[in-house]
Amino acid sequence: MQPGEALLLKATGRGRRRLVTNRVAELVAVLAAGSAIAVLGILVWSVFSRGVGALSWDFFTKGPVLFGPGGGVAPALVGSLLLVAVGAALAVPTGVLTAIFVSEFASRRAGDQVRLWLDVLNGFPSIVIGVFVFALCVQTRLPIVGWGRHESAFAGGFSLAIIMLPLVARATMEVLAMVPNHLREGSYALGVSKWQTVLRVVLPTSFGGILTGTTLAIARAAGETAPLLFTCALAGQVTDWNPTHSVNSIPILIFQYSEAPDAHLHEQAWAMAFVLIAFILVSSLTARFLFERSRRRLGAAR
Amino acid sequence: MAATSLSSPAGLRRTRGAGDRAGDAALFGLTALAAALALLVVAAIVWRVAAGAWPAIRVFQLGFLWHGEWNPVLNKFGARDLIVGTVVTSFGAVLIAGPLSIAIGLFLSELAPPSVRGIIGTLIEMLAAVPSVVVGLWGIYVLAPFDAQHLQPLLGRLLGWIPIFAHGGDHVESTVFSAIVVVAIMIVPITSSICRELFIGVPAELEEGALGLGATRWEMVKTVVVPSVRGGIVAAVILGLGRALGEAIAVTQVIGNFIPLKLTIFAPGDTLASRIANQYQGAPSNLAVASLIYLALILLAITFVTNLLAQRVVKRFERRSAGA
Amino acid sequence: MTKTLKITLAAVVAALVAVSAATARNNGATITAAGSTFVAPLVSSWTPALDSAFGYTLQYSPVGSGAGIAAVTNRQVDLGASDAPLTPDQAAACKGCVQIPWALSATTVAYNVPGAPVHLRLSGPVIAKIFLGRITNWNAPAIAALNAGAKMPNLKITPVYRSDGSGTTYNFTDYLSGVSSDWKTKVGNSTSVNFPAGIGAKGSSGVTGVVTRTPGAVTYVDVAYALQNHIRFAAVRNNAGKYLYPSLRRIQAAAAAFPKVPANNEMHIVNPSRANPLAYPISTYTYVIVPQQTSHAPELRKLIFWALTQGQKPQYTARLLFAPLPKNVLAASEKTLKTIHQ
Repeated sequence: MQPGEALLLKATGRGRRRLVTNRVAELVAVLAAGSAIAVLGILVWSVFSRGVGALSWDFFTKGPVLFGPGGGVAPALVGSLLLVAVGAALAVPTGVLTAIFVSEFASRRAGDQVRLWLDVLNGFPSIVIGVFVFALCVQTRLPIVGWGRHESAFAGGFSLAIIMLPLVARATMEVLAMVPNHLREGSYALGVSKWQTVLRVVLPTSFGGILTGTTLAIARAAGETAPLLFTCALAGQVTDWNPTHSVNSIPILIFQYSEAPDAHLHEQAWAMAFVLIAFILVSSLTARFLFERSRRRLGAAR
Repeated sequence: MAATSLSSPAGLRRTRGAGDRAGDAALFGLTALAAALALLVVAAIVWRVAAGAWPAIRVFQLGFLWHGEWNPVLNKFGARDLIVGTVVTSFGAVLIAGPLSIAIGLFLSELAPPSVRGIIGTLIEMLAAVPSVVVGLWGIYVLAPFDAQHLQPLLGRLLGWIPIFAHGGDHVESTVFSAIVVVAIMIVPITSSICRELFIGVPAELEEGALGLGATRWEMVKTVVVPSVRGGIVAAVILGLGRALGEAIAVTQVIGNFIPLKLTIFAPGDTLASRIANQYQGAPSNLAVASLIYLALILLAITFVTNLLAQRVVKRFERRSAGA
Repeated sequence: MTKTLKITLAAVVAALVAVSAATARNNGATITAAGSTFVAPLVSSWTPALDSAFGYTLQYSPVGSGAGIAAVTNRQVDLGASDAPLTPDQAAACKGCVQIPWALSATTVAYNVPGAPVHLRLSGPVIAKIFLGRITNWNAPAIAALNAGAKMPNLKITPVYRSDGSGTTYNFTDYLSGVSSDWKTKVGNSTSVNFPAGIGAKGSSGVTGVVTRTPGAVTYVDVAYALQNHIRFAAVRNNAGKYLYPSLRRIQAAAAAFPKVPANNEMHIVNPSRANPLAYPISTYTYVIVPQQTSHAPELRKLIFWALTQGQKPQYTARLLFAPLPKNVLAASEKTLKTIHQ
């Protein structure tokens, strides 16, 4: 029993009202949390129950059929992998380097500025980023391979990279800040240069955290649809590894199939959603596991 | 000092020659370049979107913001109804998600038994990981029919005397209301996890002091916990609002893509992001494309201002709590 | 842990390589096309035949006529497919593209009205008023007058239209502009118009999806999609006073009512005169849009020629209610095809 309640049990009128109000408030809080979990449960259950029927060997290995039953989503699986790989290849180095700049080199004010603009970038709607990359890459006439005048996995990957960059940079900044300063100081005291310290001491120590940030960014990028709508959506029905071509992707295919009245395409949309959610969940849990592990390691290094 | 994960000091060079200085400069240059690149992207986005919108800005100028007609045949475009639709959808979602998130944050920080706290918190964060297109897919086939058959008529009966909740007796699935619910579902996880962190951060002495004086738990929350993190809650809500404003995919799947807007939310509508997503690929004329980019520019401006506002609130809150 | 991670990653990569090897095809040319959802079912039936005949892999993105025109204008794809002919602005932007009619079918007025007859009778002016938002209930006297003996339910009408740039919208608004001067002045005729009432959805699949889920909904959609999804469509009154739903003969009659093919191949075959009692009034050609100068000219010419000849055979077209191209249009199409060069 709470300390206040013992006194209130004897009370009537105002005291009882306070008690009742308390109970109601507690109930509301429980209901709120319960409703959020219920929604999650309904959502996951809908995706699972409606999609599991379409999961089959064909689903994972065949290409789509434009009209009628059958077919699968293999090109979209490959395409999503390609897009996320291109995005990560662009975003991770840039993000980690930016974080190193803020954490190891920049003054407090410069670091704040970079952080501010990274947060601004994070807040940009992903559809605007899609419009930007389309205007920049797909509409122009730059004579760079894979660039200009047509949609491509490069363009799509680039737009995903813009979305991933703030996530990777911020996660890396946090974990770099967690590296104990005496590790750095000890290294400098031994006469090691700054760049050696960063490369051989700071980065390896924070590797787990960087991996976490990357995994979370990948999980986010894997589900993004809006940036791909105009940069990498006109694709056909065969698997393509060429990043200068436009490729299919899981989110775009879900988006297209979600408006189809054909029951087969519905089922495939739900199945793709199931695969996507499963991937994102596993990635997020892995990221969390890695983060806990790296935090424990850093704690042990104190 | 236990060197468990360090490379052995013996492996590190001990001299500090020209090579080191060059290396330091190179690393500095490389990382500064990366940081500059990140900032450059922000500037490039603003510039390119503004440049793309320029043909429409030249024709329509600021009147674009308060003209409502969107007619590709006559090449007349105006953003008014889309701005209103964006505001209604986002604020509606925040009105639902805000109190809900605060309640969830309180539950996770005060009410839940410690053993369960982690699991429930994780579950709610999992909701944030569900991609927009999947929430939209679920919205089309599960939520919207439920709204049309049960929820909308019920709310229409209860609140129909208010014009914004007027219900025509039909079962329209693609409505602004469905979009509001979908967006609310998507922003609850973010806002509630921030609220939870805020409430956990309230010093235990403050809470115990209030309880010791005879307050019920609700009264403690009302008089001690919430006021001490009020700025943070406001920032969390504004951040949720920013996310809601930019949501394109799930909204366009359930909102009906129709303007002019009707007064009631139980009718189809449209938002800035949703219209761009829908019409950008097949816009029939250059002016139409430029007008859609003009919409993107407006959206960019609105989200930019919202996020800056959230930052400002956070800064003031941090200053105040640091001084406390 | 890291070792397990590495092994898992390797397994995943191996699986993906296997999958992609299974689905990728590398013999012959890959031709990309995008556009009309109207012709997508027919293209889909052509694709395996093209592969076995020439080894061509045709990749088709059914993103809507408007997007298809934009894609071929930007040379993002080899071929654009559109039910709407190019406007003068679009033709100029496309820089030397030609349009070739390569299929012929019809747009239905599809509805979901429980209790209504299997082929509800509607006239042009009534359809225009419905989509203008002036007739709002299925039991309205204007509809009852056309359907003597049918008991229409008291159900609100929800017009559903294409929210993306659509050639089917072009065809439908072309027809409505011909039968209703109100429509012509207030809304007009284009791939993307300002519909005064109803809900929007993307793609032919999108609108049929909404209609199947919404009682009281009515939309305009290609006959192949209506048939595939078992949606009822109306018998529309033509200028001879006959109420007709689309069939191969009736589509051919509509095409035959317009024998002249202009120089740019732009054909309007909606609303044929009353001298054609068998004609279905909302029929349309659909075009393939090709740049006249393209590096893939030989393949594209072969592909389009096959589509114009072999592709019109009943095994591909009849089930989807595409009528074979009439001889005069075929001749004009072949003539235009010859102008494509490398």
